This record gives sequence, C-alpha cells and structure tokens, in this order.
Amino acid sequence: MKRLGKLEYYFIALITITFSNTLLGEGFDSTAFITTFVALTVMYKGLVVIDHFMELKEANKFLRLMMRTYFFIFPSLIILSSMF
Amino acid sequence: MSSIESNNSLAIFPRSWSEKEAGRVPGNIPIWVGILSELTEFGIFFTAYFIAKFNYPEVFASGPLSLNTTIGVINTVILLASSYFMAKAMSNIRRNDYKKCERYLWYTFICACMYLSFKSYEFYWNDLQGFSTKTSEFFTVYYYMTFNHFLHVGWAACAILWVIFRLRSGAYSAKEHSGLEALAVYWHMIDLMWILIFPLLYVLR
Repeated sequence: MKRLGKLEYYFIALITITFSNTLLGEGFDSTAFITTFVALTVMYKGLVVIDHFMELKEANKFLRLMMRTYFFIFPSLIILSSMF
Repeated sequence: MSSIESNNSLAIFPRSWSEKEAGRVPGNIPIWVGILSELTEFGIFFTAYFIAKFNYPEVFASGPLSLNTTIGVINTVILLASSYFMAKAMSNIRRNDYKKCERYLWYTFICACMYLSFKSYEFYWNDLQGFSTKTSEFFTVYYYMTFNHFLHVGWAACAILWVIFRLRSGAYSAKEHSGLEALAVYWHMIDLMWILIFPLLYVLR
C-alpha cells in the first residue's frame, strides 16, 4: 500500500479541523472558550496552508512573515470580538 | 551607478537585492503584488465584519443560524481539496511529469466548478428563504464577502484553464514553471481567505 506523504497528513488534519469546528459551532453556543478554540484552529489551518501548500516555509522571509502576520491578526480579532 | 538601480526588469528592487539572500519568491513578483492587494481588500472586508458585529451583536449571533451550514462545510472541503490538488500539480511539474501535473490541474478546476455550483445554489437557497443583502447587517456583510470570494474563485478557475493550455503547449518544465507557480500561490491565497470567511459567517455566533 502506498504510504501517505506529509501533504496528505496535513490535508487530513485540515479536513478534521473543519468538521470539528463545525460540530462545535453547531452543538454549542459561541462561548469565549469555543471562540478561542476555533480562532486558534483557524490560525493553525492558515499557517499549514502558508508553510506547506504555498511552500513559504523555505521562501522569502518577508512574504512568509506577511502571510503569517495576517493569520495572527485576524484570529486574534476573533478572540477579541468574543470579549465584547 | 545609482544604488536604487534595479537588478530586474520590474525596477522595484535595489541592485543589492538578491533572491539567494532574501529567499525564494514563489511564482513571480507581479503575482505577489496582486496577492498583497487581495489581502488588503479582504482585510477591509474582515475589518468591516468586526465593526458591524460590534455594533449589531444580536444580528450577528442569529445570522449564522439562517445560513445553510452544510453547503458551507462542503465548500470548505472542496477548497481544501483544490489546494491539495494544486500542491500535487506543483510537485509533479518539478518531476517533469506533465500528465500527472495536468490531471491534478483538472481536479483543481473541477473543484473550482463544484465550489461555484454549490455557492450559486446557496445564493438561490437564501433567496428562497427570503434572505437578501437588505435582510440585516449580517446578510449585507455575508453577501459582500462571499460574492467577492465567488468572483475570485471564478476568475482563478479561468486562469487554471489558461495554465493547462500553456502546460500542453510545453511552456512549463521542471526548470521553468514560474507561471504555474504564480497560479498556485494565488489559488492558495483564495483558499486562505475562505479559511477565515467560513468560521466568521457560518460557525461563530
């Protein structure tokens, strides 16, 4: 049987996170804990796509920083928005 | 010689700049200018979302309950799969495996078409429920974000067809495939924007 590569594992992880986030969103009210959890997983999903699908891990530092900053700022705003 | 004299045709880098030192630029510089513009555009959308949510918390708490979450999840899976296929297309062109590269590009294109079909159905479904841009502030933001994203997927899907045509013409190889790579990074950027849009509109209340 053909072994799964790194890309396949990340893809499965992204799909799993998507389903778990949806189940959390559907099953529970958006408490601060749920919102923070979802925001952190969104951050993780973004970083995985940036580093492994976009292949920015070994690329230009500025481009990688720019993309990663985006995925730190907006998930942080999600967490912040749950406090109001 | 002036210190700001360019070392490339775009004349935007000083002579001292070298890709070896700064790191590889996937695709090409123009696509990154485009991606930066798109990130700014979507950044404004997301900021508008947070401002609107702050001002109308009740509307944004009930809004996601009105949406068809199943279609939202299906579209998320489709876009993630499309990003995976695009990454596989890239790895195959680096091995000069043109057939596999083209096959994965077609898979990505099919995903794009599926996304557009499901999204169109979702807009139709919303219409049947009586939801429009004027229903509430939530739906104004929802249509503003999702229709814009829909357009991005649409024109990037056309770009996939163009890249397949170029691939068949022998324009890309393991040594030179910057055009294909430019499409790949743009496609991943579109996927990234959906990764943010999905929880904001469908999951969080």
